[in-house]
Amino acid sequence: MNRIEVENLNVHFDDAQILKDVNIKIPKNTVTSLIGPSGCGKSTFIRTINRMNDLISGFKKEGHIYLDGQEIYDPSVDVVELRKKVGMVFQKPNPFPKSVFDNVAYGLKVHGITDKNIVEERVRESLKSAALWEEVKEKLEKSALGLSGGQQQRLCIARTIAIEPEVILMDEPCSALDPISTTKIEDLIHKLKKEYTIVIVTHNMQQATRVSKFTSFFLHGEIVESARTERLFLEPKDKRTEDYITGRFG
Amino acid sequence: MEKRYPRILFRKRLKDLRKEVNDIGKLTLKAHKDSVNIFADYDENMVEDVLATSKKIDEMVFYLERKCISIIAAEQPVAKDLRFIEACIKVGSHLKRIGHLAANIAQASDYIKDETIPKKPQEDLKHMADFVQMMLSKGIHAFLDQNMEMARELKQDDDKVDDLFDQALEHITRSMFKDKESISYLVHLLFVARYMERVGDRAVSIADKTIFMITCEKP
Ligand SMILES: Nc1ncnc2c1ncn2[C@@H]1O[C@H](COP(=O)(O)OP(=O)(O)OP(=O)(O)O)[C@@H](O)[C@H]1O
Ligand SMILES: [Mg+2]
Repeated sequence: MNRIEVENLNVHFDDAQILKDVNIKIPKNTVTSLIGPSGCGKSTFIRTINRMNDLISGFKKEGHIYLDGQEIYDPSVDVVELRKKVGMVFQKPNPFPKSVFDNVAYGLKVHGITDKNIVEERVRESLKSAALWEEVKEKLEKSALGLSGGQQQRLCIARTIAIEPEVILMDEPCSALDPISTTKIEDLIHKLKKEYTIVIVTHNMQQATRVSKFTSFFLHGEIVESARTERLFLEPKDKRTEDYITGRFG
Repeated sequence: MEKRYPRILFRKRLKDLRKEVNDIGKLTLKAHKDSVNIFADYDENMVEDVLATSKKIDEMVFYLERKCISIIAAEQPVAKDLRFIEACIKVGSHLKRIGHLAANIAQASDYIKDETIPKKPQEDLKHMADFVQMMLSKGIHAFLDQNMEMARELKQDDDKVDDLFDQALEHITRSMFKDKESISYLVHLLFVARYMERVGDRAVSIADKTIFMITCEKP
């Protein structure tokens, strides 16, 4: 079953067309990687999936994006509800200047969950799911800014999963991390895909081959090729994909 | 269009790999050719030569594989670059085996050198030797030039060499029945025919690897 279906998506920022006729189906509980050279529109694409571009002046979109069959740009859709279902993790870990606990609890409060016991339970479970619990259980009241970069990124993932989304969008989540922290995030992705649908933008092609079942290659705002990850990296069908992944341009 | 990054060093390393396979291929062809010549026209020094060449091939293949692994580790190749490197490893190991078979042929000649080989088996083996040499040359060049047509041809050649082997087998056993005394050396003739047929098999495997490298198809 597909969690997300994108049909003929075109995106403009003012006069500039950023995405051209993008079509993609993202199956439930799998990891899908998006690769492509800088500026090809990967971030714009995933930001369109949780309507983070809405506030950017000059943003225009045509086409459809369905989440579980529901058009997410339909006027009846509550954007706050949508973002609860579609969480996002950014390239740079961006914890709030609050305690570790409050970072995770914050989203719960926003979504009206205030019962102390439930909040504590959820915070603990989320930190466990994000493979961070053991490292922070003694310092939940300490500032999140005192954590290492890799820990901060896992904290942001905990914050995202605390509100139990269906989809997690990750925009280069490991690009600011060292190899060990990267491995931890990748292991975490493996674990999370059982319950979540994950879309990850990465510049690291080995990472795409390690974590994802499907990969789409973006170029100049278009999807050139989507395929099983294995197939795309062993046997790309399009010459442009081949040239990009073998490092002939980038 | 994007800026082009040709990955100059990486391209050069791939080119070097091809050259190494080319060199090993040449040595293998020579080893096989010499071994069948010894068979027709015994020369003790040549036997030593073939054994030495086979050893040399082993060593070159060892370094070829090491180089392939270090390129994979350093460059993380994908797509056709990865398929090419994988094929180099496999082709290298086929060439190594062919070197061993050539050594086997050369050594078997020692048992036959003083005998008069009956006419028919002699012709069969001569025929097989030429045919297999041609297959080997085709296999190596199909790989080096990424020539699909040539690689596909080898499939048919494989059936032909099997027929030649069956024929040799029949003629050799017939000679054995005629003269029981001759069995002790004719059996080595049989081995030689078997070795040659295996060289042909390896040539076909090289072609199969080439087809996979180019098309990703199951050959
Ligand atoms: N807010 C904006 N206003 C106008 N143009 C924008 C805006 N955001 C992005 N763009 C343009 O859209 C194009 C795609 O940008 P985007 O950030 O989606 O690329 P990307 O594939 O994520 O690149 P990178 O790999 O470098 O992160 C770029 O040409 C960029 O300049
Ligand atoms: Mg981006």
